[in-house]
Amino acid sequence: MPSVIEMRKITKSYRGVPAVKDVDFTLHTGEVHALLGENGAGKSTLTKIMAGVVEAGSGEMLHNGHKVAFANPHAALQNGIAMVFQETSLVPSMTVAQNIYLGEEKFLNRLRGIYIAAQQFLQSLNFSVDPTALVASLGAAKRQMVEIARAVHHKADVIIFDEPTATLTPEEKRHFFALMRRLKASGVSIVFITHALEEALAHADRISILRDGELIETGPAADFDRNKVVRAMVGRALTGEIYSRRREATDLRKRGRLILSVRDVSMGSMVRNNSFSIFEGQITGVFGLVGSGRTETFKVVSGIYKRDFLRGGEIEFDGRPVRYNVPVHAVEDGIVYVTEDRKLEGFFETMSIAENFYAGPLAAGLTKSGVVSFAEMREIAADWSKRLDVKAINDNARVVELSGGNQQKVVIGKGLAQHPKLVIFDEPTRGVDVGAIAEIHRFINQLADEGLAVVVISSYLPEVMNLSDRILVCRQGRVVEEISPVEATEEKIMFAAVH
Amino acid sequence: MNFLDPILDLFRGKAVTIPPMDGALRPNTALDDGEVIAAALAPDNLAVLRGLPIYSSHREIRRLGHDHAILETCPADVSALAVEEDGTLAVALDDGSLRIGGTRVEGFNGVTALAFHGGKLYVANGSEHFRPSQWVSDLMHRKASGSLWEVDVKTGQRRKLASGLAYANGVAVDAANNRLLVSESWRHRICAVPLDGGGVTEVLGRLPAYPGRIVAGTGGYVLALFAPLNRLVEFVLQEAQYRADMMREIDSRYWIAPTLSPPENFLEPLQNGGVRSMGVHKPWSPTRSYGLVAMLDQNVRPLSSFHSRANGRFHGVTSAITVDGAILAASKGGNHVLRVLIGGGDA
Repeated sequence: MPSVIEMRKITKSYRGVPAVKDVDFTLHTGEVHALLGENGAGKSTLTKIMAGVVEAGSGEMLHNGHKVAFANPHAALQNGIAMVFQETSLVPSMTVAQNIYLGEEKFLNRLRGIYIAAQQFLQSLNFSVDPTALVASLGAAKRQMVEIARAVHHKADVIIFDEPTATLTPEEKRHFFALMRRLKASGVSIVFITHALEEALAHADRISILRDGELIETGPAADFDRNKVVRAMVGRALTGEIYSRRREATDLRKRGRLILSVRDVSMGSMVRNNSFSIFEGQITGVFGLVGSGRTETFKVVSGIYKRDFLRGGEIEFDGRPVRYNVPVHAVEDGIVYVTEDRKLEGFFETMSIAENFYAGPLAAGLTKSGVVSFAEMREIAADWSKRLDVKAINDNARVVELSGGNQQKVVIGKGLAQHPKLVIFDEPTRGVDVGAIAEIHRFINQLADEGLAVVVISSYLPEVMNLSDRILVCRQGRVVEEISPVEATEEKIMFAAVH
Repeated sequence: MNFLDPILDLFRGKAVTIPPMDGALRPNTALDDGEVIAAALAPDNLAVLRGLPIYSSHREIRRLGHDHAILETCPADVSALAVEEDGTLAVALDDGSLRIGGTRVEGFNGVTALAFHGGKLYVANGSEHFRPSQWVSDLMHRKASGSLWEVDVKTGQRRKLASGLAYANGVAVDAANNRLLVSESWRHRICAVPLDGGGVTEVLGRLPAYPGRIVAGTGGYVLALFAPLNRLVEFVLQEAQYRADMMREIDSRYWIAPTLSPPENFLEPLQNGGVRSMGVHKPWSPTRSYGLVAMLDQNVRPLSSFHSRANGRFHGVTSAITVDGAILAASKGGNHVLRVLIGGGDA
């Protein structure tokens, strides 16, 4: 089969630490090639070299048999190689249509024409996004759709998708994979980076697995199964630790004291008369599709959003009615919300790991002296780095330099350093590799075993079913059903979430 | 800024909220999955007479067995029953009459529950204004005229123990703590009253449904909750003018009010939210009727519960007792008596 891209002995190092080492990679014409590996394995670096975002340190790349070295992404795009980034590269202050046609503006631009063309184009992709909406007003899932639409629009013959489905709903994922099949049928070659192994096994023609910057294995997808992929990714079998446990009634933790009671809480059109309770010593899993109001509900609980002024319902925390106007009061009472959007809300990316850990207790006024103490910061950072097994050169490394899994650990540690009574994890393992997922799950279980009330909001059904002691299902702004993990099936949960 | 909330509440109105059914009250289908042991019209008032369960069905008192024999036919619907250890039967009727064995006791208007203890009969009088069968009217008029009485079984003398109750609808004796437990339906709570009278104290509040009869059971108490709280009904209860118009102009069967059974007539208000979706009646939809029995521990804390949800058949459970490690529940709205193993509920 002819190859559209061929990479030979590619090496790239950051500050002397190799991100990819002597990697050979071939992309055949019209194939879907899944690129798998833990966070920090080198997948993004390899594809960024392919798309001209970073330059390779050594090695060579052939495009349709010709040796190329792209100086920037624009040059790669001119050659038909487009990349859909994990962190969207859209311009927030522009509309969806303007983003899709960015760089193709005519001298006299007619917005109406762009909107009509964008509308038709988005409809042809089955993406329900308003072309006149500002990108800043879109949620993560819709931004991802615009990003994909932009790549497809450029008629690239190689499209690289970096975690395209992480923020999509099941319905949107179906549309995405149908689109991927259509692109493939029209001769487009696709590189597909994902942490959802089932997606790779189901939709890829070939799979390549990277570990610690090296190519471990490559071959037809039919030759792989889940266990083989995980073994190659992490160097050990992990499947037994996550997502395969069948829950028995005796496995479930008994509920402890009632810590949070939410009654008929409303916030605009997103949260409507939502009622539920949270108990200590248990993990409460919350499942719902995008727009079901699950994140917004818990943001109201933790003081990030305010509930309605009139008929906004009641929230009782630890036996006392509360109405937080700012998160710091919730933190003082012992409520910690670990955000789903770690890059935007979770950490200060240019600050060090230690400074990020220390920011939690510092903001909540929980430091020993009440003022900044570098000794205390070092102490807290050393403690939480050890407890969460954060992999970094030292605690002075900037968070932006860490892999997704380790960044997530920093966000978790920053919250837990505030000594909470209730911890709310919103998508704790989104964009995190399997190795880190197992570690994060183990840590969440440990928190519940220690008697803390834990809430895990997740769109990933196996995660909800395996981690939770009780499952709440949200739909249209309220909890509609509580299901025991013993009797839960994916169909049952999905039915409650959809109908 | 939290200190401002009580002041702001004066302007924005205090939230009227419905507690969620979770924890020990997590919904299940235990009542619908239970064994049907009798089909009867409006079964109610389960009790045990000489080792055999009995129940009332309108005016009849029947034995629960192979033959469902009629033990007695009364001149009006039976509103409450209790059996003394020696087999003495206390029967209250919807017309307000009360009889202990062969002795009539006068002065009550609407007896809703009875309990014998130490030669005394404790009587829950639901309302001064309405009969037990008119409980919806009492709720809609927002009355709180219920009372609790002690009647000497030998002399028939009566003594008021508590008054001003918002529909006293169940009474049980907590001998260990020298007190009575009373269901106060319209305030959605269980209260304690000392055996010799005195103040009313709440022991279990914020129930998500209207509590009815409460009886001593295995290691605690069994509580029948006969209808769920519903936001629409709660809203109607806040709107005095609307309620007055509704009660004046509309037949009471079609009021927006709690009910014991799912609607069958197209004139009845919809079970709001209780619609079918893709051919499935959503079990989690808010309804005006529901089936719920809760097991309480000796400290009156919920331990487990048995449900018939929006899509279930056995709504309006007005009476439940424990017999031989199982719960017998009378679904007055569903016209059946059920038997559910105690382990079958949700802990």
